[in-house]
Amino acid sequence: MSAPERSPASAGAPDHADAARRTGFRRSPLEAEHVTLGAKLVEFGGWLMPLAYPRGTLVEHRACRSAAVAFDVSHLGTVRVEGDGAFNTLQRVLTNDLRKIGPGRAQYTHLLDDADASVVDDLIVWWTAEEIFDVMPNASNTSRVREAIGGTDTTATRAVVALQGPQARRLLSRIAPDAACVPRFAVGSFTWEGASCTAAGTGYTGEDGVECALPVEVAGSFWRAVLETGVVPAGLGARDTLRLEAGLPLHGHELGPGITSLQAKLGWVVSWDKGDFRGRRALEHERRTGPSRILRGIVAEGRQPLRDGGLVHHGAQIVGTVTSGNFSPVLERGIAMALVATGARIEDGDEVVLELRSRPVPARLAELPFVRPGTSASRAEVA
Amino acid sequence: MVVPCELRYTSDHEWSRFHEGRVRMGITDYAQDALGDIVFVLLPEVGSRVEQGGVLGEVESTKSVSEIYAPVAGEVVAINGSLADAPEKLNSDPYGEGWICEISPVDSDAYSGLLDAASYEQLISG
Repeated sequence: MSAPERSPASAGAPDHADAARRTGFRRSPLEAEHVTLGAKLVEFGGWLMPLAYPRGTLVEHRACRSAAVAFDVSHLGTVRVEGDGAFNTLQRVLTNDLRKIGPGRAQYTHLLDDADASVVDDLIVWWTAEEIFDVMPNASNTSRVREAIGGTDTTATRAVVALQGPQARRLLSRIAPDAACVPRFAVGSFTWEGASCTAAGTGYTGEDGVECALPVEVAGSFWRAVLETGVVPAGLGARDTLRLEAGLPLHGHELGPGITSLQAKLGWVVSWDKGDFRGRRALEHERRTGPSRILRGIVAEGRQPLRDGGLVHHGAQIVGTVTSGNFSPVLERGIAMALVATGARIEDGDEVVLELRSRPVPARLAELPFVRPGTSASRAEVA
Repeated sequence: MVVPCELRYTSDHEWSRFHEGRVRMGITDYAQDALGDIVFVLLPEVGSRVEQGGVLGEVESTKSVSEIYAPVAGEVVAINGSLADAPEKLNSDPYGEGWICEISPVDSDAYSGLLDAASYEQLISG
């Protein structure tokens, strides 16, 4: 067997035995918990994080669709922007309109490149209190985001635990009822062992859930208490297959240099009626002319995992490129998201052929997301 | 990691068993653990001929893809077709139900040239 060739879309390399001995990575405040649980740790965005626990990615994935899982997502950045200028700064820089929400709410938004409207990062803003915003970029983009919006990088002061799945709130309510009842896209506070913590009704799996930010000192006891309720620990491997099934973009794949919000079909995060924001002029141009390519779903005829970089053929033409692909544990088929030329005029359900490692893989275009929470497909395991 | 003493191994983390003139092969416990959850196996075709070290197929997990190499030269005479729908057998029973294929070797001495269990164990602990 050849040394496993890591898929660019996947979240880690298999040489986990060496990972723990490597230095130079940022460490999660929960690392000792992961080691105790027997997790495989991998490098991700400059951090050493769990790829999977001993039961494996597929079990973790299905547990999230049918019950509840917990992810350590401490590697996400937190940049706190506060004071009387904070609101105006974020309004001028980010694409979405904070006037749609208010204190105690969360919003998904983009930071664009001023010159070409490429998505520099996609982030969640937790409007924690009147003049306090906790902006959460992707791990590797934290410094770029901070350059654009200012503020203080508070990443090292807290751990973030994401509880996701149809049973997540019910199980969380046994230990932290105030956190468990924070509504979808709301932000609330709760207390854990006397420490003040924040909970938001957000996530990255397509399932209902809550993300909890805790001071590092109390994070370990919270993590252990969460697992004692029966919540299954899950790693970056499952996080990637879950977000892919849910059709959620990953920066560096569906978003990034040369890819705009409109191409990624995320035009709803752009508020055209709020005045100027970074990248507006370039994005307005694309809005007028129409994007030349757009994000589509692809489902393979068989189980073979689709992989990013794969070319999408339609008849004799190459019409697009896969941005992320893998195996869908719910559909038990290969799935992918791909940027497909709008001029190709192909409909969902139409046959395409993916070229993977020089071999043809039959597939069809499909509507995103592949799996919706509450559908029979994603609930198949519950019954 | 389980390394059955009656099998032979390659440095590419494959096992082989010589029985009734055929070499049955698969991937080792170490290999399946390194790959993680296996979700797809591309099997060789029965009747195809391979060189020693030639590509037999592919094993894919949620995180990576690896080629499978022939431990000995010969003709593929049987494949484990059940892996098409149940590739997870490579994880749950790599030396049993998770066998990949059988090769009728050109040279039956090639088998004895493979690593014994002690040598393979040393390789993966090194």
